[in-house]
Amino acid sequence: MITLDHVFKYYNPALLILNDVNLKIEAGEFVSLVGQSGAGKTTLVKILTGEERVSTGQVIVGDWDITDISRREIPYLRRQIGVIFQDFKLLPKKTLWENVAFALEVCGENQDKINRVVSSVMRIVGLEDKRDRYPHEVSGGEQQRAAIARSLVHQPKILLADEPTGNLDSINTNEIIDLLLRINNFGTTVILVTHNREVVNRLKKRVVTIENGSIVSDQKQGKYII
Amino acid sequence: MTSFWRILKFSFQDVSRNIWLSIATITILVLALFSVNVLLTVQALSQNAINAIKDKVNISLYLRPEASEAEILDLKTKLAALPEVREIGYISKVEALDSFRERNKNNPEIFSALRELGKNPLSPSLVISPKDSDQADVLIEQIKKNNNPIIESRDFTDNALLLEKITQVTKKVNEVGFFIIAIFILTSMLVAYNSIKVAIYTHRREVEIMRLVGASNRFIHQPFLFSAVFYALAATIIGVALFFPFLGLLQPYLEVFFLDYQFNIVHYFISNSWLIFGSQFLAMALINVVASSLAIRRYTKV
Repeated sequence: MITLDHVFKYYNPALLILNDVNLKIEAGEFVSLVGQSGAGKTTLVKILTGEERVSTGQVIVGDWDITDISRREIPYLRRQIGVIFQDFKLLPKKTLWENVAFALEVCGENQDKINRVVSSVMRIVGLEDKRDRYPHEVSGGEQQRAAIARSLVHQPKILLADEPTGNLDSINTNEIIDLLLRINNFGTTVILVTHNREVVNRLKKRVVTIENGSIVSDQKQGKYII
Repeated sequence: MTSFWRILKFSFQDVSRNIWLSIATITILVLALFSVNVLLTVQALSQNAINAIKDKVNISLYLRPEASEAEILDLKTKLAALPEVREIGYISKVEALDSFRERNKNNPEIFSALRELGKNPLSPSLVISPKDSDQADVLIEQIKKNNNPIIESRDFTDNALLLEKITQVTKKVNEVGFFIIAIFILTSMLVAYNSIKVAIYTHRREVEIMRLVGASNRFIHQPFLFSAVFYALAATIIGVALFFPFLGLLQPYLEVFFLDYQFNIVHYFISNSWLIFGSQFLAMALINVVASSLAIRRYTKV
């Protein structure tokens, strides 16, 4: 599903962000990418979404070699990869429904499809009854669920979650992790970038540990080892 | 079609969320268009003034009073054969006297002087109009060469100096005008660039999310380009709305200036409105789109 082959990333030769990263993630896997701040986790996410390019090496997503992806192709890549962040990235002047629908509107989908898909993903994340609330009227967990709903509208094969529980309390964190597991059960590959020890240890899924831009550990049913 | 309406909706959000900036932008564009229109007015006026003066170019040949009708008609026929001549009017002694009396009907002293003379003192004349006022000089040279003894004197109304002065003033006004227009075009570009930059900044979160969810560059860029075209359209409409009252104020003064010449500046702009204002809108839209494209290229990167 995802292959990173001898990936290096540096802004200048003295500032190495990723150092010979080799990683293979199969379709339907749930992988936790862990490491301390500045280890290179977010750079890896940015490379997978086309926001950054590798300095050397090769990156393949599905059957698509995105190593030298053009600016024109990036939107199509992003429709195949759902992304959620710690700060939710919701528009404050739109309701939760409108925020989710916005992702389809800006891709030119017709209103019928938007209504159908948004209803479906709102149901999956359990926000049907709060569809007309604005982000500031719901909890952090519900905002993150809306962000997850938005990331699902294109039915992506991969969901990248970059510190999705960083702003949440333990109850909401567990709800979001449960939701990610449920989405993974549908067959979506989930890559969870986190430094939350409890979450990683509870999951008992594959754990890839990055330190100073290099993969130092890759365990099938791993634990947080740093 | 759905995408088009959505792009239009986002565009109007750009304009309305930065309403004061939009007003400032449109105001600068209106001033730019107004200066262009004033320059066009000056050009139209000078061209018509030149035409009016050229229309009045006439050459009068005063003939000896004793010249016979046959001699005069013979001369008239010879002159009419010249290729530069459009028409020749013959004013006989009697007609000249009638015209003179009519012009001086309120001057009893002249009437009494005429009575004392006891005879018609005026000469018959031929009034020659050139085909083309630019050929007046050639025609004058031809007539000077004609040594027919019945010609008493020649009167060449010399408008060349006046025409030259009008041309010079128009040239100067055009030079200054083009300089002003160049400054306004540059200002318009900078203002449009800055407005779109601020609109992008205001929408930075939307743009970020559009990128995140895979919106095409077209969908991200086009609302800002539509805003740029909207600024041009609004400026053209407001510019027209302000310019016609200005022309209405100018027209009475022009009527005095073009006393014997039919020229109405309001009608001139109305009859050429699509060409003038249509091309102004297209040019302004093009300038804005170019400036906005530069801003978009720079500020909406991934």
